[in-house]
Amino acid sequence: MSATGLSLDVARELRAVCGEDYARERPAGGVYVSPGSAEEVAAILKLANQHHLSVAPAGGSTEQSAALMRPNILLHLNRLTQVEHYDHADLTVGVGAGTTVAQLNTLVGADRLLFACDPPLPERATVGGILATASHGPLRHGYGALRDFCIGIHFVTGDGRRAKGGGRVVKNVAGYDLMKLLIGSYGTLAVITSASFKLFPAPRQTRTFLAEFATAKEALEFRDRVMRSPLSPMCLELVSPGARKQMRPEVTDDAWVMCLRAAGSDTVLARYRKELGSVITKELEGESESRMWRAVQDYPIPDALKAEATIVGEFPRINLTVPLNKVAQAIEAVNQYAKPGWMGVAMVGRVGVGHLMATNWPDDVETCMHPDMLGEYLRGCLPDLGSLTVDGLANPWCGAPGNEPSLRAVKQALDPNNVLRGRVIF
Amino acid sequence: MQLSAVVEQLRKIAGRDAVLDRPEDLMLYEYDAGVRKCTPAAVVFPQNTEQVAEIMRLAKRAEFPLVARGAGTGLSGGAIAPEGGVVVAFARMNRILEVDADNMRAVVQPGVVNQQLSENVAHLGLYFAPDPSSQKACTIGGNVAENSGGPHTLMYGVTVNHVTGLTVVLPSGEVVHFGGKAAESNGYDLTGFLVGSEGTVGIVTEVTVRLLRRPERIATLLGIFETIDDGAKTVSAITAAGITPAALEMLDGWTLRAVEEACHAGYPLDAGAVLLIELDGLAEQVEEQAEAVREVCLQQRAREVRRAKDDNERALLWKGRKNAFAALGRLAPSYYSQDGVVPRTKIPAVLEFIGSVSKKYGLRIGNIFHAGDGNLHPLILFDPRDPHQLELVQAAGAEILEWCVAAGGSITGEHGVGLEKRNLMPLLFTDDDLDVMLSLRNAFNAAGVLNPGKLFPTTRMCRETMGPSSNPVLQSEGM
Repeated sequence: MSATGLSLDVARELRAVCGEDYARERPAGGVYVSPGSAEEVAAILKLANQHHLSVAPAGGSTEQSAALMRPNILLHLNRLTQVEHYDHADLTVGVGAGTTVAQLNTLVGADRLLFACDPPLPERATVGGILATASHGPLRHGYGALRDFCIGIHFVTGDGRRAKGGGRVVKNVAGYDLMKLLIGSYGTLAVITSASFKLFPAPRQTRTFLAEFATAKEALEFRDRVMRSPLSPMCLELVSPGARKQMRPEVTDDAWVMCLRAAGSDTVLARYRKELGSVITKELEGESESRMWRAVQDYPIPDALKAEATIVGEFPRINLTVPLNKVAQAIEAVNQYAKPGWMGVAMVGRVGVGHLMATNWPDDVETCMHPDMLGEYLRGCLPDLGSLTVDGLANPWCGAPGNEPSLRAVKQALDPNNVLRGRVIF
Repeated sequence: MQLSAVVEQLRKIAGRDAVLDRPEDLMLYEYDAGVRKCTPAAVVFPQNTEQVAEIMRLAKRAEFPLVARGAGTGLSGGAIAPEGGVVVAFARMNRILEVDADNMRAVVQPGVVNQQLSENVAHLGLYFAPDPSSQKACTIGGNVAENSGGPHTLMYGVTVNHVTGLTVVLPSGEVVHFGGKAAESNGYDLTGFLVGSEGTVGIVTEVTVRLLRRPERIATLLGIFETIDDGAKTVSAITAAGITPAALEMLDGWTLRAVEEACHAGYPLDAGAVLLIELDGLAEQVEEQAEAVREVCLQQRAREVRRAKDDNERALLWKGRKNAFAALGRLAPSYYSQDGVVPRTKIPAVLEFIGSVSKKYGLRIGNIFHAGDGNLHPLILFDPRDPHQLELVQAAGAEILEWCVAAGGSITGEHGVGLEKRNLMPLLFTDDDLDVMLSLRNAFNAAGVLNPGKLFPTTRMCRETMGPSSNPVLQSEGM
């Protein structure tokens, strides 16, 4: 064994798979590899199984910092950026897992199409990474989640089998829906190597309407009114007073803001104005509109730090989803958990789908973010809690996710030797 | 265990009147809407989840295969029992357990009929979006098993996009709950995985579905074209104009004449093809889109674009579309329908190919399909009494599906693989792809108690346990 914990033979074999330039020892231990193809990914996983090594896949390090990960093999997918298929008239695209969301947007944006997932830090976030973590942004409200528009996926299972699910067409029920299984599996079942997506026509014109409220309850009543109306906004986001102050330091009041983004012609937008009425305090368009949504999308990462690879742990974010009528209760529970009386927790949420993201914890953040405590507390307060995840945690689901025997059966089927043990989920 | 003993046990679990075993009763359960048949050994009608779990444990113990069945409207043989198999029919688990309008969810038993759910929540301004053509009869449980679609899935997605939670009886006999009312849940997305697994992973006994708000306005347009090619090219021209209709259906001239004779839907008798285009949403937006769609159709040489004046006209146009299969049934003793998919830009080319297949085999093929998402339904007419014809029909069907796959498409967009297309799976999937799927099936259903012989090819796979269907006792009794 060398100082890295890997035998020289294994290191040599990895270099033989990826080439000298793409396999190197990490100062912290283990080997960093950057394969150039799905075949190479499969060869690496087979080697790992043979030698009982752990492998952790990594993308843009926006959810978890690769620098802090300590697997035997850190598998970076950054070289898998090929476009596998793209015909703008079919409204579908397939790209390698290392493609960033920004690259994908540039590709399809040229044809006035939209890739409808806008996760934090799109210049760094990769297709493989957002799938593995089921990431989303404000567009989640109007266009659905990745599980709704990822139509095909290529991957290598933990035991080294190259396989796929789905295909390239928007409607397809042949075989098991492996996209669903891998989306949100945090790289514990397989390494995603490429994926295909359904695209949408990009809106030709949008406006954003802001409404301010004294309490979260009133803001959520506005949400309910919008959802019972015939309007179908692209985005419907709640921004808490704390989050708003961080995004716009000049603001001094404590308003909860609902941000509604609508697409359509002048006539359609006029209808939005009419339906929403006098509750609207501000209307944004153009640059200021884009800036506002970008701030919400990336929140809470400050602009100056967006290019850094190791920032994630410094801004721990929890994401949760509850049924629509439990969002108020979830806000209350998060505040209570942070510290009774501490109102500094900042929240942003796709509240039209029952989502809430909370950050800006008090100083004793270590205790606060203890996954088991957090999970137990929130599950206790919110019996209908759907998902609960904390960025960057070894156990992103904050304790046992339930249905353990079924989850273990799936894990055993795809990664029997537990090679993909970067995230401890059971 | 003897069949008579199995039947007795089933009666103990579900009740004396809840099991069928007389040949004349079983005949009703030997087929679905496809072309395959097999008489089950018995049919049992459980009334709750616990009974389903007990039936599952009995099947495991006594080693006989089970297949869940909704209304039997499936087109791929998914609900056909294997030799010696017992059908678990959901006709008595047909209650809507909860309508939660605040959260836009409903919790239903699998035997609830698709259309009844929408009717039941209509007074709240809500509906269930997946709308298979068989929606008057098909059940939510069947929709979940097959991940069913329908015309309006173009905009709203298929069944999996509308299911957030499931109660499932696993082949082990254990009852598990996946997901719930929230949009997302922790752990692997087993809800999403179960939907469309064609009854090979577990039996679903409760479904939490997403309900949508009824749109403020609906516009239904009929674009009439001289040639099928003009109609086909219009499909991608509409999406290229930045419009996603709620539904975009196509009927070729021959089919629409048959439909018109049967349904009097108001379709023109002399057209080469029609597009049935529906737009829904905010009134202003629908009006603008309707105008834009009309312009695109005319640019693509539509002879005329009509718009349904009221709900009656709209219902009539849809009646024609949804009863089209039955209408063609008047022209021949039987038909064989497929649902291959092509990228939508390949629609003109695939229609041309289907025309050549029709000539080559001397078979009448009607085209009526979900054009907006490239999901074809070539209807091949034939006489099942002539065994040679059935062979020809299947060969013609396979050729069309091969073409779809070569064009970057799929062998099934909404009907499922079932028995019918299991041996076409290798067209799409490699041995490793299938091996991965099989290892997942075996993770839950290793002994093949649940729906054996479905979905996986019989030609290549050596790892599939075909299930305990070779149970000598059940077979020796002529089952």
